[in-house]
Amino acid sequence: MNYMPGTASLIEDIDKKHLVLLRDGRTLIGFLRSIDQFANLVLHQTVERIHVGKKYGDIPRGIFVVRGENVVLLGEIDLEKESDTPLQQVSIEEILEEQRVEQQTRLEAEKLKVQALKDRDDEATAFS
Amino acid sequence: MSGKLGDRKNAIFTRSHNEAILLIGKSLEDCPLDEDEDAFQGLGEEDEEIDQFNDDTFGSGAVDDDWQEAHERLAELEEKLPAAVNEQTGNGERDEMDLLGDHEENLAERLSKMVIENELEDPAIMTAVQTRPVLQPQPGSLNSSIWDGSEVLRRIRGPLLAQEMPAVSVLEYALPQRTPQAPEDDRDLSERALPRRSTSPVIGSPPVRAVPIGTPPKQMAVPSFNQQILCPKPVHVRPPMPPRYPAPYGERMSPNQLCSVPNSSLLGHPFPPSVPPVLSPLQRAQLLGGAQLQPGRMSPSQFARVPGFVGSPLAAAMNPKLLQGRVGQMLPPAPGFRAFFSAPPPATPPPPQQHPPGPGPHLQNLRSQAPMFRPDTTHLHPQHRRLLHQRQQQNRNQHRNLNGAGDRGSHRSSHHDHLRKDPYANLMLQREKDWVSKIQMMQLQSTDPYLDDFYYQNYFEKLEKLSAAEEVQGDGPKKERTKLITPQVAKLEHTYKPVQFEGSLGKLTVSSVNNPRKMIDAVVTSRSEDDETKEKQVRDKRRKTLVIIEKTYSLLLDVEDYERRYLLSLEEERPALMEERKHKICSMYDNLRGKLPGQERPSDDHFVQIMCIRKGKRMVARILPFLSTEQAADILMTTARSLPFLIKKDAQDEVLPCLLSPFSLLVYHLPSVTVTSLLQQLMNLPQSAAAPAPSNPHLTAVLQNKFGLSLLLVVLSRGEDLQSSDPAAESTQNNQWTEVMFTATQELLRIPQAALAKPLSIPTNLVSLFSRYVDRQKLNLLETKLQLVQGIR
Repeated sequence: MNYMPGTASLIEDIDKKHLVLLRDGRTLIGFLRSIDQFANLVLHQTVERIHVGKKYGDIPRGIFVVRGENVVLLGEIDLEKESDTPLQQVSIEEILEEQRVEQQTRLEAEKLKVQALKDRDDEATAFS
Repeated sequence: MSGKLGDRKNAIFTRSHNEAILLIGKSLEDCPLDEDEDAFQGLGEEDEEIDQFNDDTFGSGAVDDDWQEAHERLAELEEKLPAAVNEQTGNGERDEMDLLGDHEENLAERLSKMVIENELEDPAIMTAVQTRPVLQPQPGSLNSSIWDGSEVLRRIRGPLLAQEMPAVSVLEYALPQRTPQAPEDDRDLSERALPRRSTSPVIGSPPVRAVPIGTPPKQMAVPSFNQQILCPKPVHVRPPMPPRYPAPYGERMSPNQLCSVPNSSLLGHPFPPSVPPVLSPLQRAQLLGGAQLQPGRMSPSQFARVPGFVGSPLAAAMNPKLLQGRVGQMLPPAPGFRAFFSAPPPATPPPPQQHPPGPGPHLQNLRSQAPMFRPDTTHLHPQHRRLLHQRQQQNRNQHRNLNGAGDRGSHRSSHHDHLRKDPYANLMLQREKDWVSKIQMMQLQSTDPYLDDFYYQNYFEKLEKLSAAEEVQGDGPKKERTKLITPQVAKLEHTYKPVQFEGSLGKLTVSSVNNPRKMIDAVVTSRSEDDETKEKQVRDKRRKTLVIIEKTYSLLLDVEDYERRYLLSLEEERPALMEERKHKICSMYDNLRGKLPGQERPSDDHFVQIMCIRKGKRMVARILPFLSTEQAADILMTTARSLPFLIKKDAQDEVLPCLLSPFSLLVYHLPSVTVTSLLQQLMNLPQSAAAPAPSNPHLTAVLQNKFGLSLLLVVLSRGEDLQSSDPAAESTQNNQWTEVMFTATQELLRIPQAALAKPLSIPTNLVSLFSRYVDRQKLNLLETKLQLVQGIR
């Protein structure tokens, strides 16, 4: 049955596997079981997927109830094409480690940048 | 202290012993007996409520909702399920049957009640307190009512939607042990709601809900939010029906099912296509009023077709006929709104002569049909319906294939498979889906879609016009475009009366959304002129101009809308509309020129200020068609006078060319005199030919600008037209024109070529124009300079 053509309504997405991106950057994958008018979601058999580079790891989470305002986007997963990905699945520990490493490198890069800017500023004031 | 106040205080602390209160009251007060008794009766009722509240919170009424147990059961299900589904199924079901064995009769009663009620009332809408009879919630009833609902509903739905039901439903398995319930519980089951305690008296606010807003309801019944959103059921059998929403998807036949109904009015389009679909609120009100005249059934499709007559000249004649002949049991006396969905002009135009007889046979057919066949997809676009029809056929085919162990290759069938194996499917009930969908549709309600949803409406109108045009040309099968047709609400005038308390001293006002109270006393202090610097003055002036532009723009939008309103209005209102329109046009003009009534308009300044702003220019271009010729000519002259200045200011925006089109149109209506003076203004030609200035910066500026040059050429062309068309014109005019032309050509010859702009359009008769006034050689010069001959470019 075609609910509300031409609109974005989640009703037809119920009981289908979805990928949900949250505002805090988490990616959840689960079966959408229930919605309401605020787009609050109930996800079933949810898995939190962490991506680092070309690797990803899944953490099983169970049932998620997500408040609508925290959802950035969500999309249906094609079950047949799901396995068709160039990404490599690794264990949870490994991916968490990778994530930690990535976080660290990013922080260090940020630190360097801040330092460089500070140095430039010092130079400028020194010259003036 | 007043008597009543004191008594209330006493009453709160005692249990419901009315006599005791009475006695106390009597001993304390000297009020007349009758008054007290009435008051106490009222208090007694309140008292009972309060007791109930106390009871439910602290006493025997409070029961845990044992969600933990339910959760454990669900968890068990997950583990056990893959292993031994069948056994579990058997056990589970048997357990359920045992639990309910005692209550099967009750269940049957409840079921039958539900079925009937479902037919009449709409799911997904919660009852408000006022419309439902007051129920006394029983102790012990709260806990399982929520789960009961779904379970009972499942049984109802079972036969209808068998293919969707999984082998084991999670909900059934997870139900906790039900305690035996009193027969009164069936009333309680009708509300999947907390008891009334959760409502609070709301004053001056939107009406109270019996449940918190997010709760999907179990029992679907009509709210009485406010009168505006009540709407009748499209088809009724019984006359005295309170207003309802049209049945939602679950109950009505799905569009798929509906399409297969024989003689359904969906399959034909009795009305001619050439009419706009919009039904004005007035006509809706008419229909509403007329609806009370005759009982009988009226399909919503007929109703939806009714607006089709609006635009045609038969509209006036047809409407009353329609009202009398067609309108069925739409409404009881209560003024509700009609949430009917307007259908756009049907895709396949029926024979044009089919007006009144058209709907007739369809109506008859509908009337003769069983109540079950309610063609309720009239809210859908006809193309949409066809799509659904096709889809339904597809589904049928697919089901046949699946049943016959056919191909499983398609994605759809695999999806169905998946659903079938998924024990957690349909946790969200159909009703709940409908409920959410209904809320979403409600959010799309509007009293005036043209106002609220202008771009969507216009876009689809355009599309439809296109496809209608295509169809006329016979371009092959039309593309199906599904359009969401939003419910339209009749605008009802609502005067808000603030709540008044009885027995209060003086008038207490409660501030609410309908009755806002001023919180801050903001005083506007105007700055004195001396303090301001030049910059500030300039800025203020600009701001004032901007404000004027905004105001004039609003007027313009209104004026542009009058045509549509005219079509939708009644005969009597039209003169008034025209008056309004004229008045608005006058005020627009006044705004443009600077309102100095009684004075001649000496200063162009005001207008020039407006023209310096991009929005102002665009607005003038839009206003011009509405002005009278004199007014418009005045505007044009002013523009011509200040053209170099405007050109300079337009350097960044480059919006002046938008004015060319309305100006050209205007010029072609101007008389010769005006054209002459216009030309003079444009070229800043000296009044007397005696003293030609060495250089003409005005003209230069004009010629260097696209708009300026184009305008000049248009004016010249018009002059030529006048000349050639009317050789016997008055000689004075002729002479004037000739003089001006001579000077003009001289000036033009003087201007170096390099500086010329490229005009937007070159009128064709310029060669003949110039040939009158200059000799061959100069003509060639002019031609090359102005690139009048096509080949040169």
